[in-house]
Amino acid sequence: MAVQRVLCVAEKPAIAKAVAQHLSGGSFQTISVRGNQYVKNYVFEFNFGNTWGTCSVTMTSVIGHLTSLEFDRQYKGWLSCPPGALFEAPVHETVDSDKAAIAKNIKEQAKYCNALFIWTDCDREGEHIGTEVRKQAKEGNARILIKRARFSNTERAHVLDAARAPIDLDDLQANAVAARIELDLRIGAAFTRLQTLQLKNMTEALKEKIISYGSCQFPTLGFVVDRYLRVKNFKPEKFWGIKVMHTREGIKVNFLWRRVHLFDRAAVTVMLERCLIAKQAKVTKVNQKPTSKWRPLPLTTVDLQMMGSKYLRMDSQKIMKVAEALYTKGFISYPRTETDQFDKGIDLKKLVEKQLPDGNWGQYARGLLDGGFRTPRAGRHNDRAHPPIHPICWVAPTAINADERKVYEFVVRRFLACCSEDAKGQSSEVEIQYGDEMFHAKGLIVLERNYLDVYVYDKWESSQQLPNFQMGELFEPTEAKIFDGKTTPPNYLTEPELIGLMDANGIGTDATMAEHIAKIKDREYVAVHSRGGGRNAVKELIPTRLGVALVEGYDNVVTGLPDSPSLSKPFLRKEMEVRMREICAGSKSRIEVVQESLEMYREVFIHTQRRISMLKDAVRKYLIEEAAS
Amino acid sequence: MTTPHDHIAAQLLNSKSLPVSSTWLSNFIASTAVQRHIPLSALTQTALFRVLASDFRDSLSTGSRCSLLPVDIFGPTVQERRLQGPIPVQVLDIEDIGSSLWGQVEAIERVERGEAIRGREIVRTVNVDEDPEQGANGATATATSGNARPSEVGNSTGPHRLIVQDAAGTRAVAIELKAINGVALGKLAIGAKMLLRNATVARGMVLLTPECVTLLGGKIDALDQTWREGRKERLLARITEMQTEQS
Repeated sequence: MAVQRVLCVAEKPAIAKAVAQHLSGGSFQTISVRGNQYVKNYVFEFNFGNTWGTCSVTMTSVIGHLTSLEFDRQYKGWLSCPPGALFEAPVHETVDSDKAAIAKNIKEQAKYCNALFIWTDCDREGEHIGTEVRKQAKEGNARILIKRARFSNTERAHVLDAARAPIDLDDLQANAVAARIELDLRIGAAFTRLQTLQLKNMTEALKEKIISYGSCQFPTLGFVVDRYLRVKNFKPEKFWGIKVMHTREGIKVNFLWRRVHLFDRAAVTVMLERCLIAKQAKVTKVNQKPTSKWRPLPLTTVDLQMMGSKYLRMDSQKIMKVAEALYTKGFISYPRTETDQFDKGIDLKKLVEKQLPDGNWGQYARGLLDGGFRTPRAGRHNDRAHPPIHPICWVAPTAINADERKVYEFVVRRFLACCSEDAKGQSSEVEIQYGDEMFHAKGLIVLERNYLDVYVYDKWESSQQLPNFQMGELFEPTEAKIFDGKTTPPNYLTEPELIGLMDANGIGTDATMAEHIAKIKDREYVAVHSRGGGRNAVKELIPTRLGVALVEGYDNVVTGLPDSPSLSKPFLRKEMEVRMREICAGSKSRIEVVQESLEMYREVFIHTQRRISMLKDAVRKYLIEEAAS
Repeated sequence: MTTPHDHIAAQLLNSKSLPVSSTWLSNFIASTAVQRHIPLSALTQTALFRVLASDFRDSLSTGSRCSLLPVDIFGPTVQERRLQGPIPVQVLDIEDIGSSLWGQVEAIERVERGEAIRGREIVRTVNVDEDPEQGANGATATATSGNARPSEVGNSTGPHRLIVQDAAGTRAVAIELKAINGVALGKLAIGAKMLLRNATVARGMVLLTPECVTLLGGKIDALDQTWREGRKERLLARITEMQTEQS
């Protein structure tokens, strides 16, 4: 029997190279691909085991999606049709012009191969790219057998295992992506054309601008504007509270009022007076109990982005880019995951062991192996595709750049923290009744830092110790008085907060959130400002005039229409996301979902056209009148 | 044999401590006289229901001093005094003094937009799984799923400051010193009735605790509606007033 020939295709050139290196054991032939300087073909032999046996392998890659969806030629011009026509104008898939050489390479290679083995990333997007690759290969060789690798990192043993246990492409996931692509194209183009054409002539500032609309972009912008307006409209108010202090054993104990503070001065005055009349306070609760601060959950993409932008001083898009690079180089697992529980099968101690050589946390890792190891807590999410983000192997700090070091260090510290014991402490609480009012004081001693030693991002520190109080004892507090204060506005939205809001409201996926945020910055709908200086500077998102105008305009468009939520709100997009999941689950077809979602948006589109003056009024208000004043 | 008039008056006084005005009761009985065969117990029930929906200034007698608030109750110089009662009063205003005015305005605006907040998630409360039974104003108050119920409706945490009024029209400020079940924005309607028994008054404020308050329920429809419609405006007006005081 002739040697089988297998064509392997990865999602990115770096993955192709890494996988080729592992499968070939390091000896492969590199052949250039005509017309593309990044993609290479790697040729070698590999024994896939079972029925396949030793095969001659060509490993190559694409660079992300091969094709895009486009409107037919006659609808391409901005003035070729009313924007509303784009909801049903015919569309077709074409190979991107800069990807033609890559597509051709796959077609050519497929001719000589018996099997196509797809190595795109194991997520929805990767599944769809897999179908694009399959289409090209089938055009070259209609009888080619199609398989797919299930892998979540490029560590050697994992890659070899994946090569020997191929699975099938998941067409449902690919269909969900196809539906999303079509919806994004139609809805995006229709609204973008409508608003750009309507608004561009209103002011010089918009003349040359494309005012883009995206079904994720707008709700993302909506969150930023919503917070901005809350800050701007905020009205400070005075409040009053009661402060009780008692000195005992040389310690000044501050008791906090259970009501915290109230907005009625007379009421607080009466309450304080009744404390003073009572003279003595009674101890109603003395509590000493062990307490612990839980080690973090295994790391997900959303958490990486939130924690990262909080502690590593990088924006979420940057973090994802760096994490992607670390993944491609084989240092960390796939950085796009919703899973916050480790599979029972994974050998965590072995991963801990890999960190022993490190100068900073090697010693800590040693401690885990010498008995400190604990099975990580399990969160409630599992995307059934990827494990939580974790380090695959140790890398010398000198081998990677500064940003990579920061992200890698975070991933490792987080992983080691997951495998550690919770921090332990002792909390004490004293509660007193004084007059009719309740007050309490709390103390904490940290006894064992445990995971905190390696997870430097969490803070938990001992507080002042409480002196001895007896249950039921009566005493006269040293001091009781009224304090006052003022409410303060919330802060402008920060990127971690925005990611949290997007996540909670179903805007984008963990893979795309960072892009949507980058997009609204790019479009100059929001700007980034620094609050404070130096190391403690916080980056805040503040909408531009155009950003505020668009949100207010769209909110006004749907005012009084109970069935049409504004495009600046997350509701429509959330529904669409739910439908994507239904495609993945097989309970709805791609066509059904596209039709239903288009219907929802078309209704808003019609309202927008009818009430376009509202949008124009908002632009006039913010870009012309306010800009002039 | 006692007349229905006397029977009802005695019943309402004994079971609810409500001294119903004789004129009001006569009118009530006259208005129901057309329906001859109503049992007395049912008639008493109807009378109670009407009293609770009425304005106490019309429906209660002011004959007995001990069922009225002292006319100088607001005197801030009196450190403490006790009202033996029971004194029937009706609620004219309720406010949550544990929350800022602005926070309450924001909450009202969220309800107006048909949104509720569940953690970080924004939840739509209008036209989701529409319930045909819902009244016009129930649309926002009755959110669909239990935990999506907007926290701002019927769930203010207080403490609350009330303005109460007795049968003679005397008003008093009352503070919810200890949480009382049923006293919350959205739960306690304007015109709702309560009995005060052994309540403490400090510096002119009635201090409400579960021990001294018996909620009888009811409301005065017209007052309640205008109160609710005007609530946001009043909050905003007070904020503006505060702003000018401070500047």
